[in-house]
Amino acid sequence: MERRSLLPYLLILPAFAYLLFFVGYPLVQALYLAFTKNGALSLDTVRRTVNNYYFWSALKNTIALAAVIVPIQVALAVVLALLLNKAFKGRDLAIYALVIPLTISDVASGLIWYSMLSPYGFLNKFLMNIGLTSHPIYFFGYQYRTREFFVIVLSEIWRSTAIVFVMILAGLQMISKDYLEAAEVFGANYWTRLRRIVLPLLKPSIQSALIIRTLFAMQIFGVVWILAGRDVPVLAGEGFYQLMEIKDYGVASIYALVIAGLSLLLGILYVKFLKAEYLEVKT
Amino acid sequence: MKRLFGLLLVVVVVFGVVASGCISGGGETTSETGTSKTTTATEKVTLTWLSTQLTPPEERAFVQQTLLKGFTDETGINVNFVPVSYTDMVTRLDAEEKTGKVTIDVVGDLHGGMDYMASKGWLMDLSGMPKLEGRTFIGTFEKYSVINGKKVYVPWMSATYVMVVNKEAFKYLPDGLTEDDVMKGTDKWTYDAFLAWAKKLKDSTGQPQVGFPAGPKGLFVRFLHGYIYPSYTGYQAKEFDSPDAVTMWNYLKELWPYVHPSSTTWDAMSDPLLKGEVLIAWDHTARIKDAITTKPDQFVVVPVPRGPKGRGFIVVLAGLAIPNNAPHKDEAWKLIDYLTKPETQIKVLEKVGFFPTVKEASGKLPEGPLKILAEGVTAQSSTSDALVAMIPNLGSKGGDFKDIYRTAFERIVLNGEDPAKVTSELKPKLIGLFTEAGVEVP
Repeated sequence: MERRSLLPYLLILPAFAYLLFFVGYPLVQALYLAFTKNGALSLDTVRRTVNNYYFWSALKNTIALAAVIVPIQVALAVVLALLLNKAFKGRDLAIYALVIPLTISDVASGLIWYSMLSPYGFLNKFLMNIGLTSHPIYFFGYQYRTREFFVIVLSEIWRSTAIVFVMILAGLQMISKDYLEAAEVFGANYWTRLRRIVLPLLKPSIQSALIIRTLFAMQIFGVVWILAGRDVPVLAGEGFYQLMEIKDYGVASIYALVIAGLSLLLGILYVKFLKAEYLEVKT
Repeated sequence: MKRLFGLLLVVVVVFGVVASGCISGGGETTSETGTSKTTTATEKVTLTWLSTQLTPPEERAFVQQTLLKGFTDETGINVNFVPVSYTDMVTRLDAEEKTGKVTIDVVGDLHGGMDYMASKGWLMDLSGMPKLEGRTFIGTFEKYSVINGKKVYVPWMSATYVMVVNKEAFKYLPDGLTEDDVMKGTDKWTYDAFLAWAKKLKDSTGQPQVGFPAGPKGLFVRFLHGYIYPSYTGYQAKEFDSPDAVTMWNYLKELWPYVHPSSTTWDAMSDPLLKGEVLIAWDHTARIKDAITTKPDQFVVVPVPRGPKGRGFIVVLAGLAIPNNAPHKDEAWKLIDYLTKPETQIKVLEKVGFFPTVKEASGKLPEGPLKILAEGVTAQSSTSDALVAMIPNLGSKGGDFKDIYRTAFERIVLNGEDPAKVTSELKPKLIGLFTEAGVEVP
């Protein structure tokens, strides 16, 4: 009896120790750096952070980027998954092609788009060669922050829609054909089947994809840093800047904690409001 | 259950002790045994050289594989080159000096850092060391290396920030400005003339042709506090919100439409120059060196323009010092001797773009790109209206210092806020940094 009850604890021990050292310890350290000054509790670092010129725009930009990127990605991924869920010749190839950007890091993706859209990049050279424009179109620079924002969105959609797509396609393939066939027998058309059966059953996959993508969106950094530098400040970028350039570990910790807090909050909201519904349970 | 929890706790603690031992103990023990063994067991000495300079991987490889190999071949002394950050160096030296167990033989750092370490009394007075033969140190550098009457360090390398001009740009000089004015840095080569030139370049080519490294890791803030501020106000920080400063900011606002918009994403100007995106750029000598070595016929290095108060520019000076109680003082001096020889200094210039601190080295420069660079730097430092600025030493607050200028620039020039309002808002914070660090406001 005694031995059996010990086993589960022993099994989770390595994971627990790992978390303690690589998550717990840095977290405590971050809290310490953020809320103490000379060893005493203090809100000085917090004040320094919120008074920083870049803090609020970093917060705003991070949320704005997530708000623009994530819905587009999910919608796009659902459409693509529905299209590719049918059997047709070359389907595997199409799936491989779609998934390729998954192998590219955000920094690399940023560099690819930068070289494509910079004043003397492919796009501008092409436009000038065919005589459509006489001067390069600028996509980067403080004066063109809106354009920078959309290039970031484009780059992120290009690179990371694949992960959402994979999750949703997996979800689609889990849906039993029986439901759809039964619906067809009763005369439900494609849209009804999609609305009443496929999408509700896809909810768990969409939820996981949303959570994963939103959390990653909170950490968005490499691609922004490459394409826009600090023209479009984001939380992770500012945290990095404070740590590497300013050497203000306290403020950098607060940025990290803000990202963690936001992620936690969004995770809770998703789980609360997007609870998966199962048809069996409902009926 | 209680027993189980106790067991769990013991296991976690044991794991913690073992893991932390593995993580922090490793590096220290090897280096310590390394030095002590060599001093007692054999004749061979291994020097420990901490440096905040030459730390990027490529430069580090050059120091370890080329530079120090030459030294070891010559003297038989091994050198352990330890590239560190300024903060790490100060923390380690502080700890070693306090415990009296010094393991560092040589420190290499910028003037500001040396100044700080000297004020703490950690550095040895070098005036008693044997004379370094066959070299004359540049006067200004020699002067800076004596702090409070003590010869604290030996000038090692220097660098500065200059303007690079693509010869193409000379076709569009504004009226009243000649190529010679720009090359030699005469009285006519002013910031106003620069604005007229930038304007003419944009009007004639349809593109903004001036570039600054104003990206997140670019050194544009150095231009603000070390070049244009002194040129307009006579000081780097003292007159931060004065009417002269407001004139300066308004000037920058006027100039900015003629500056390439991608400037806020550029960290170094070599690439934009080579790609032909801009014809005139300002940057650190090391960061434009590539452009000049790749296309030496295309570019010239020229002094920066002058402002109403003179021609402000920064001289970055790195030195070599020996800590008090260093274990191998004589061998350390031999390393300093080797590193400041004209031949070694040329090697450093060729490889990493830091300039020699001894006069004899200039005679040994080969024709070509490096000469272009060196001539530009010399022309800048020998202008009669030179206002030399040193990067202030604020220790860990150095980042905050840069951030204040960066914020002022973003708010005033990029966002169009009122310069008088922004500078008066930021000034107390700026002055606070100096008061906190106990450094005179430059």
